Amino acid sequence: MRLYALAVYLFLYVPIGVIAVFSFNAGRHAAQLQGFSTQWYGKALSNPFVMEALQTSAIVAGASAALATIAGTLAALALQGVGGKPRAIFDALLYIAVMVPGIVIGIATLIALVTLFDWVNPVLAALWPLADQAPQLHLGKGSLIAAHGLFAMALVVIIVRARVAGMDRSLVEASADLGATPWGTFRQVTLPQIFPAILAGFLLSFTFSFDDFIIAFFVAGSETTLPIYVFSSIRRGVTPEINAIGTMVLAVSLVTLVVAQSILQRGRGRGAA
Amino acid sequence: MTDRNDFISRERFMAELYRYKKGSVTRRHFLGVTGLGAATAVLGAAMPGLRSAAWAQGAIGDRVALATWPNYHDPANFEAFTAATGAAVEVNVFGSNEEMLAKLQAGGSGWDVFVPTNYTITTYVGEDLIEPLDLAKIPNYDPAAFNQRFAGPGTVDGKVYAVSKNWGTTGFAVNTSNLGDKPKPTTWKEFWDLTMTDFSGRTMVHDYQLTTIGNALKYFGYSFNSIDPKELADAEKLLLDAKPHLFAISSDYQPSMRSGDAWMTICWTGDGKQMNRDMPEIEYVLGKEGGELWSDFYAIPKGAPHMDAAYALINFLLDPAVNAKEALFHGYPTADSRVDALMPPEVLADPILYPAKELLDALEFGAAVTLTDPNRAELMARFKSA
Amino acid sequence: MTPRLRTGLLLAPAALWLLAMLVLPLVVVLVFSFGERAAAGGYSAAFTLENFANLGTRWAAFKNTLMLAPVGTFLCLLIAYPLAYYLAVKADRKWRTLLLILVIVPFWTSILIRSYAWIYLLGGQGIPRLFDSLGLGNPRLINTPFAVLTGIVYGYLPLMVFPIFVSLERLDKRLLEASADLGSPPWRSFLQVTLPLSMPGVATGCMLVFILLMGEFLIPAMLGGGKVFFVGNALVDLFLQSRNWPFGAAVAVALVVIMLVTVTGYMRATRKWSGGRDDVSLM
Repeated sequence: MRLYALAVYLFLYVPIGVIAVFSFNAGRHAAQLQGFSTQWYGKALSNPFVMEALQTSAIVAGASAALATIAGTLAALALQGVGGKPRAIFDALLYIAVMVPGIVIGIATLIALVTLFDWVNPVLAALWPLADQAPQLHLGKGSLIAAHGLFAMALVVIIVRARVAGMDRSLVEASADLGATPWGTFRQVTLPQIFPAILAGFLLSFTFSFDDFIIAFFVAGSETTLPIYVFSSIRRGVTPEINAIGTMVLAVSLVTLVVAQSILQRGRGRGAA
Repeated sequence: MTDRNDFISRERFMAELYRYKKGSVTRRHFLGVTGLGAATAVLGAAMPGLRSAAWAQGAIGDRVALATWPNYHDPANFEAFTAATGAAVEVNVFGSNEEMLAKLQAGGSGWDVFVPTNYTITTYVGEDLIEPLDLAKIPNYDPAAFNQRFAGPGTVDGKVYAVSKNWGTTGFAVNTSNLGDKPKPTTWKEFWDLTMTDFSGRTMVHDYQLTTIGNALKYFGYSFNSIDPKELADAEKLLLDAKPHLFAISSDYQPSMRSGDAWMTICWTGDGKQMNRDMPEIEYVLGKEGGELWSDFYAIPKGAPHMDAAYALINFLLDPAVNAKEALFHGYPTADSRVDALMPPEVLADPILYPAKELLDALEFGAAVTLTDPNRAELMARFKSA
Repeated sequence: MTPRLRTGLLLAPAALWLLAMLVLPLVVVLVFSFGERAAAGGYSAAFTLENFANLGTRWAAFKNTLMLAPVGTFLCLLIAYPLAYYLAVKADRKWRTLLLILVIVPFWTSILIRSYAWIYLLGGQGIPRLFDSLGLGNPRLINTPFAVLTGIVYGYLPLMVFPIFVSLERLDKRLLEASADLGSPPWRSFLQVTLPLSMPGVATGCMLVFILLMGEFLIPAMLGGGKVFFVGNALVDLFLQSRNWPFGAAVAVALVVIMLVTVTGYMRATRKWSGGRDDVSLM
């Protein structure tokens, strides 16, 4: 049994090892080791396009995860009191949002937005006082945040709702009986109970957006996220710079994971107290 | 790639030095070609095309986005451009004209400069996706110096939309060490037959309908540009028969050829030259039946976000000294006689770059209709999804 | 503020989001699927059923997806279950969290970079060379369905391990002890106690992996050399190469319909099967 687990871990880590080993390659070809060097880390960190892609990814992931967490949490709380047809429609839409493949979401968003912009932009130009200064709508961070946030929001609703369902209703009722305002009840009773779920939803959403390639491939317009940068580097011919980026992202993720884990642990401790 | 670029043989260096002393090449050329000028800032400052231009450092912005093809530029030239102008070059690589067109049609590509092939330019003009060029901003472009056969398609209805980058051929590269005692294939017929026999599982074709379908058509002796339904049906049958024997369908074939995983591939001039330079056993062959002759261009897409930087980059790359450095690196000939004057004689005599007349005469330029023909597009998609 | 109004306001952002980014785009796709390809590519308005009639030309892509997605899911399950079992039941409690984190860590590097590592490992310089030097022959691995399946299992393993781990961890160990006390051999306890109780986790994991696999594009593109084609690859091709938006829309509609039918059917079946226990399932 233990031997089996060891074999699976080996399977999981050999490619990671390959990535890390080649990131220290002195040569420029990713497939031939030619001595040890950390130059690719310096190159990656001083490459303005890598840094910008990282920034774009962080902004898009942060914004889509934050918006999705807010909208999703509100919806999950509100859905408690909703039944009948509206509830059924909402559930069906959430179900579809989770189930439709990312590639279809990407394509659908692309053609819908491109068609929409084709209609809206001439109207904007016609209505604007100075025609050549009229704003032009185009694909970019906005469309990325909206498209990534869709899946993320559905995820947050599901996670938070599960937590809300398991929540102790008597506390909420007691709080109301004691004369607390709905907002006060929410802040002091509900929120602490569902907080771990909200945080989990946010982290999952952030990860999803940060690692997504396929939706971004279609709706990013001229923006370059980190996965898009990696993809185009692979087509340009891979240098160990990509390995260095991957190794760094891994290291940062690992730290984030440990921090998140300890926060969650503490959150849980407080929730129980 | 840089290490290959930095390498220059002693013989080459002496030859260049001799030419420089004789006065047949400029100091700039000498420094550039020998890599002595590779201290990029020095090189950048030594580029008169940049120094004399109206834009001072920083005035063109900090970036320029280029959409181009695999293995088609000397990275050192981009570094020199960045050192001289402050604008970093973001390179996006594409494997087919269709892919570039699709990206531009969807809008918001963010590109400043792109590299279309001769037969696509009328479509870009028709779709209003390309900017007419202000030649005053490209002083290094001297129409009189360019061979009109290759530079001509950049002009549509009297307006210049694109300036000549390189020209070349589409043949195939074969790793002769895998041939055993068989003779080297010299025709497209042998290319496809070998693929389905001894080289099964070892051949690559482009992820690009023009060349992959075109060279399947050549198997039967049809035109490379055919859109005749019956001829396309023959080509489709060949492609479907060959598909199980292919190693991969990809326009980026150098890594697999160099690693030895692939033995033969449809190949463009410069890739053939680059591979042959490092691994002489990989030879570049033009099919006797013909195939594609092409020329590529620099052009600016409609609504490019950094127009000044786009012009600066095109002008920089058309400086004959820079262009010669590009050509020596990537192995594609230019249509610029000023560049030819800077090239070492052995390059001008290289049969990979400048094929024999009878081979060249058999080639065809791509036709605009092959780009837009829905049946060819659909045939390629069926072949890939089969 | 009436409670009704408050509920409405709370729901509004999510509802608008679903409407603008899900319903509207899917409706556009549906409308486009009845259109025609414009002369230079793209969409031109029309009403034709031709795009749906032509779906047969992508049969191979649908077939590949419908075969490799379940096979990939099953392989993931096969490899993940014993690991999840080990982690939940056998592993030392002290190390459990660390071992779990180690399962997700590879998941945090881009799938692109991880797949690239596999290109190297499965290419001529990697495992085949190792085999060759051991005298085991020189198999060709890269650009084969095997390579794609390897990438799939590698990419999605954590998604399978976690739900199974969660359901196994909840398992009351006293049940196993009771079963053993009653003289039941371990394999029997496993079949009669452990396995049924872990079914909700298995169902969730399989569904997660299956859903993602049905839309997969990158792994076949990178490890299949453009030869192992999924519906996702056909879609990318139709939108980014042949620029046939209406036909691409029809393929997308077909994919969504297939997913709705298979996933809904699957969920019904597993819900009945696991006795209505859906505490760890997705919905």
